[in-house]
Amino acid sequence: MHQSRWLSTFFAALPLLCAATASFAAEEPTPGWAKDRPKTETAMKLAPVPAFPIPTAAEDLPTKKFKLPPGFKVETWASGVLDARDLRQGDKGNIFVSTLFVGNKVYVLPEKAVDGKRVPKVIIDKTPYPTGIEFYKGSLFFATNKKIVRYDNVEDKLDNLGEPTAVLTDKLPGGDDHSWKYLRVHDNKLYYNIGAPCNICDPGEYAKIYRMNLDGSGNETIAAGVRNTVGFDFDPKTNDLWFTNNGRDWFSEELPNDTLNHVKQPGKEHYGFPFCHQGDIPDPEFGWGKSCDDYTKPVAFTGPHAGTLGLKFYTGKMFPAKYQGAMFIARHGPWNRTKKYADVMVAIPDGKGGAKLEPFMTGFVENNGYLGRPVDFLVMKDGSLLVSDDHAGAIYRISYAGT
Amino acid sequence: MITLVASAAALPTGAQTTKDAADSAASAARPAGATTSAGSANAVYAERFSNVCAACHGANGRSDMAGTPVLAGQHSLYAITQLFLLREGRRNNEAMVAMAKPMTDADLRGFSEFIGTLPPVPAPAPAAAPDEARMSKGQALAQQHKCVFCHGAALDGGQGVPRIGGQKEDYVRAALHGYKTGDRPGYTRAMSEALSQVPVEDLNLLAYYVANFTGK
Repeated sequence: MHQSRWLSTFFAALPLLCAATASFAAEEPTPGWAKDRPKTETAMKLAPVPAFPIPTAAEDLPTKKFKLPPGFKVETWASGVLDARDLRQGDKGNIFVSTLFVGNKVYVLPEKAVDGKRVPKVIIDKTPYPTGIEFYKGSLFFATNKKIVRYDNVEDKLDNLGEPTAVLTDKLPGGDDHSWKYLRVHDNKLYYNIGAPCNICDPGEYAKIYRMNLDGSGNETIAAGVRNTVGFDFDPKTNDLWFTNNGRDWFSEELPNDTLNHVKQPGKEHYGFPFCHQGDIPDPEFGWGKSCDDYTKPVAFTGPHAGTLGLKFYTGKMFPAKYQGAMFIARHGPWNRTKKYADVMVAIPDGKGGAKLEPFMTGFVENNGYLGRPVDFLVMKDGSLLVSDDHAGAIYRISYAGT
Repeated sequence: MITLVASAAALPTGAQTTKDAADSAASAARPAGATTSAGSANAVYAERFSNVCAACHGANGRSDMAGTPVLAGQHSLYAITQLFLLREGRRNNEAMVAMAKPMTDADLRGFSEFIGTLPPVPAPAPAAAPDEARMSKGQALAQQHKCVFCHGAALDGGQGVPRIGGQKEDYVRAALHGYKTGDRPGYTRAMSEALSQVPVEDLNLLAYYVANFTGK
């Protein structure tokens, strides 16, 4: 069987940010994700797993197969949400859902089911890489691989968003590899990622977490050496930023790990890419002359090629005390590892800067194939937790009823 | 100093290599619940295919209508990705976009699964044998540009990769030029990426080669 390739790289489109990167890239004929892929037949057959173009029918969803700790319950909150990625909620209750490779859309879903169903309504369509969304004070912030815009009073114009109220930037680098965005607003600043435009390369001004003011001014670096983060959030107790980071590919089946990281000095720390992976493995090419001791180490490993995506601090009151202030982390599951796995983990800060990880929601994999793949979270007002699944095109709701 | 804590129990255990990687890749791409429809649905879509699609594509999935692709021997996953792109209006083909627009998810699944059951139909014997020099140059180009990397040495594709051996020359030519210019988006970026390295003057010869390819 032949696998179609999924991502590719158009280095010619890379811009402004770093001429050095562009010239490096021009010499590299393979797509970025395939750089350093071993030439063995087995490795050559591993390529990103395309999602099916149709959501799984409600009755075929894996909901009943999920396993959770005692006292927790999971139900299908919405089905038929093709390519469901990031989740955010408006002040008036609307749930915004973004997509990535397949959907090219942003949807809105009602908080309360209508006639027992929640039907996604498309509010943005025909837009590649429409993944970064955030809601703050009545506005929807929306980021593609090329620009970040803002729609004010968005919940009053869901039938027709019209033109954005403001363009915060149209100078993002575009491209394919790791070019999609994850957004959070914190203390009146918008945080976003610019992932490395490759599996492994000199990233220039890529591979960083940035922030800007809500009008697009004052852009600044928050963390460097971050290969690609597709999930970050702020600890409500300390205001510290925590982020997941996807490790490099093709090093080996079992290394390096994806990581969970904790920003202690915003703007001053470098997390190692492309020189050092998971805090203790020098890169075989870029690691020469570098020391892992010079980079900030991760708090925890989240598994090789795990595709560690969404990260959300639990701010609700419904779940037991153990989960209050803990982080939920989505492991989307590997494409370039023979043995597949995917789950939702919980990371409990230890109060000393570290965190302890344990499985929370499992059952996404059967016969080494994906039944679903978790992406992002939303804590609802009642304290229940929504989990998006882009593979099955569904959103699940987890609640706690006690034992 | 940041404490490094990782729960071993939470991490996946060592790689198991008992399954062939190709099988595992294929099964990883398998959509949940995609195989629920059985014979009854197939009968419904067999009839709808013969009423709706056969006029242009042929009752057996091959016709001589210009520019109309051969569906015989095509893979259901590839077929559903194309019906999806047509329904979304991303592919630039007015007639097929209009056909796909009213289709439900069940229609996309039903038609594509039926197409996946159509056995390959070889091209009718050409009036004159294909030009040997062009065929051997085309074969070299297909190797050089790594077409066989995804489409296979038999050019029969698989999963989301179409069968191209024996596909109609005019259709393949238009598809290649479309991918090259960006007029035709793929479901993945594979073709636009693959063709980014292929000179435009090679495309017609590649189309000639794959259309006349008989596996011999």
